[in-house]
Amino acid sequence: MTAFDPFEDFGDIEEIGERLNDADAAVRRLAVIDLAETASADVLPHLLTAVADPDATVRLQLAIALSEFDAVEAAAGLARLVADQDLTVAQAAADSLAELKDPAAAESILPLVSHGRAFVRAAGFRGLKALRSRGALGPALAAMRDEDANVRAQALGVVAYLKLEETLPCLVAATRDADATVRSVAVNALSFTSQPAAAAAVTAALDDETWQVRAAAAESLGRIGQTSAVDGLTAGLSDEYWQVRQKCLNALGKLKAQSTVRQISELLTSDMASLRKESAAALGEIADPSSRDSLMAHIGDADPDVRKTVRWALTRLG
Amino acid sequence: MPLAFSPTTVPVVVDEAKCIADKGCTVCVDVCPLDVLRISDLTGKAHMKFDECWYCMPCEKDCPTGAVTVNIPYLLR
Amino acid sequence: MDNFVEGLSEVTCDVLVIGGGTAGPMAALKAKQKNPALNVVLLEKANVKRSGAICMGMDGLNNAVVPGYATPEQYTKEITIANDGIVDQAPVFKYASRCYDIIQELDRFGIRFQKNANGDFDLKKVHHLGTYVLPMPNGDTVKKALYRQIKRERILVSNRFMATRLLTASDGRIAGATAVNTRTAEFLVLRAKTVILCMGAAGRLGLPHSGYLFGTYENPTNSGDGYAMAYHAGAALANLECYQINPLIKDYNGPACAYVAGPFGAYTANSEGNRFIESDYWSGQMMQEFYNELQSGKGPVFLKLNHLHADTVGEIEEILHKVERPSRGRFHQARGTDYREKMIEMHISEIGFCSGHSASGVFVDEFARTTVPGLYAAGDMASVPHNYMLGAFTNGAVAGEHAAEVALETDLPDFDSEFVKAERKRVLAPTRREDGIPPNQLEYKTRRLVNDYLQPPKVTARMRIGQARLAEVRDDLETALVARNAHELMRSLEVSSILDCADMAAHASLFRTESRWGLYHNRVDYPKKDDDNWFCHTLLRKVDGRLVSEKRPIQPYIVPIENEERTAYDRLRVSNQA
Repeated sequence: MTAFDPFEDFGDIEEIGERLNDADAAVRRLAVIDLAETASADVLPHLLTAVADPDATVRLQLAIALSEFDAVEAAAGLARLVADQDLTVAQAAADSLAELKDPAAAESILPLVSHGRAFVRAAGFRGLKALRSRGALGPALAAMRDEDANVRAQALGVVAYLKLEETLPCLVAATRDADATVRSVAVNALSFTSQPAAAAAVTAALDDETWQVRAAAAESLGRIGQTSAVDGLTAGLSDEYWQVRQKCLNALGKLKAQSTVRQISELLTSDMASLRKESAAALGEIADPSSRDSLMAHIGDADPDVRKTVRWALTRLG
Repeated sequence: MPLAFSPTTVPVVVDEAKCIADKGCTVCVDVCPLDVLRISDLTGKAHMKFDECWYCMPCEKDCPTGAVTVNIPYLLR
Repeated sequence: MDNFVEGLSEVTCDVLVIGGGTAGPMAALKAKQKNPALNVVLLEKANVKRSGAICMGMDGLNNAVVPGYATPEQYTKEITIANDGIVDQAPVFKYASRCYDIIQELDRFGIRFQKNANGDFDLKKVHHLGTYVLPMPNGDTVKKALYRQIKRERILVSNRFMATRLLTASDGRIAGATAVNTRTAEFLVLRAKTVILCMGAAGRLGLPHSGYLFGTYENPTNSGDGYAMAYHAGAALANLECYQINPLIKDYNGPACAYVAGPFGAYTANSEGNRFIESDYWSGQMMQEFYNELQSGKGPVFLKLNHLHADTVGEIEEILHKVERPSRGRFHQARGTDYREKMIEMHISEIGFCSGHSASGVFVDEFARTTVPGLYAAGDMASVPHNYMLGAFTNGAVAGEHAAEVALETDLPDFDSEFVKAERKRVLAPTRREDGIPPNQLEYKTRRLVNDYLQPPKVTARMRIGQARLAEVRDDLETALVARNAHELMRSLEVSSILDCADMAAHASLFRTESRWGLYHNRVDYPKKDDDNWFCHTLLRKVDGRLVSEKRPIQPYIVPIENEERTAYDRLRVSNQA
């Protein structure tokens, strides 16, 4: 009968590090995996030597592995890999950069945002977003004039995460950006402030040419909670896209827009159960006694979710 | 009573040209929650030894060389 | 690999955590953080890297109680009502109060939750009352992030060891566990001051409709080992008759993901494309409505997305095909199902035990303590109802912290070496046989009997026949089960757990002579809910080697539910058709 050690070992860093010098790229690649698995910051010097590995598959593995370390050294390595000529490596490095949380990493990432390639600039801003670094604000504001839409969208993300009143002009301008994704981020981001300019810009976005932006605007207005948006949202109840009409109903409910009870009630007769339900929910939120008759008319609605919401709304009316 | 040999078609297939198990890789074998993969003594490559698959895909997702493909087990397909 | 190796080792630790899936790693982390001097061991049948229900990640939190969106009081009320009132509220309330801290901690670990453009958590409203759903569009990172923390804290991990029984001291305290290596059959004795069971659901109880043993709703590695071990150690198990049954994608058997697709506007519909579910919170009532519709002329049931915009469907696919059960996309593709065009056929799952989705688990209090001193349980196998993944994390943390404190003031308990000797013999018995019945056949038969005799609608006479047939299988298990290698030995031990769970399911179901929790405990010969006699928990435990059930009063509610409020809820869920 032999005794045994039942525990996983933590890996011999020096031994694994040696394998990084192997002639076989597959062996070097496995060494990167093993080093990352130790989760020990001691392996970073070893790992960083692989940044210059001639084999792209090794660099790819490294770009993935460095996401395991929330450290300044990892950021420095990723900053190099994100500019790699191999696009798979660069993409993996960009994804790993976005995992970093240590604010000190910003220093290594910042230079990327003035890189000649748009991909690298966008990856830089994407990495900076969650770090909420004030130092990134200036470059991000400047990048709103970048010719590449993805760079602008990522830069706007940096601005939006900081939630600063002083960035309002930038966010408002972004609601009129040429790119729909940028406009969506902007209308979503403006919900952090109660400044009238924000509500005005988001309300204007209810007329955006892209339905997703209009829907995002309606949702954002529900969060902002400014009654100045009521007229725009009421007009949105006849949007050609039901998805937008639904978001407008929801927002009007949140705004307790009593003056719109009649218009909301009209959607109780929509063909779409989802709209009837949202309409009943909005009427419940507003809780105006004048909606009782319209709600009562739908207590036997064919759709159980509508019936349920109608019953709930009626209890809100008291 | 002796045991029979009943064949099944396995859901997890390995591209031996891509597999680097012979270089020391054991990723797919390690990550399988049901422990159904093994490295073949004969070929040095990974293969599915036990047809007990939840088609959950860590083996495919974590394989560093993209050598593993998880198919839906035939009885479910 | 897989050949038998004669080996025997004994290790000693302060806190032993069994199960490295969701609750386990968190319990081990918290125990270690509470007191870094403690020797914490994490034991796992597979590999902690990718084990348990969330091996491939999770697509969202179903029950996040986040300030500004929901309150612990409101959540506790909803859970109480969804469980027909059969709830000890203290652990539910504790979960609800603590879970936001855990979300923030998981966020710091690098687990990614959906955030709005300003970086704040972006919760979605799915239920009528509270807002609890926090999507995780990149939830495939969960295990990776947890594993990283375990490594950083230098927690001792023992992979590929399957726990077989708990050890108890002469005074009844927990004393450790025995385990066997799943690749060598080496035997391991782990002595510990406190033990935390985080061994997941009993998800391999019923047989899926496909007939494929491993095509279960739950990760089939969750074979109910924790339930069986707790039972044999004398711990009480609560409300096992309240089975887990879930709606799912037919044949694929993966979750339907109403929580993912719901916020985008998808819903469950009958063959006419109309909604039919009346109840609100996920509950046995909802499953009964689902079952009724399946069996009706308007059946079967579908997940409906084809009314959504193609871009929206694309977004849903992006999540559903990447996280939690990514092979789903492959399944639909092979059948030529495009969400944009066709509704997706749904069905209900096989039965199981799981508190993550229902309420059947090892009984625990608000400190995750079981009824055995020093023994804790958390996650899907512990009795905190509807606690889902976030409950596993939160209650795992609660268990880890408390177990660490208790371990500090406890001497290493003695244990019965004769018991260990007998257990080793029991465990290795299938390896000593040259000939017999292999585990896959024993398992198929057990689970087929579960489907034939134990799944709802439950009928007394049928369940009694089931008990008799299961007893025959148990004879085979004890006298003829053969394992030709260590892997088959693992499967053999799992069959033993499955059989124990089947016996418990039958016994618990026969004990409660009423119907409750919708489909979960629909007893056809006792069709009415009987609050006068059965407004209580049931506890099942092993007494003198036999299954014994008893009633346990519900602890006084800490969040009172006015009668009027309850009827208001009832009105929300009960059909209004005369």
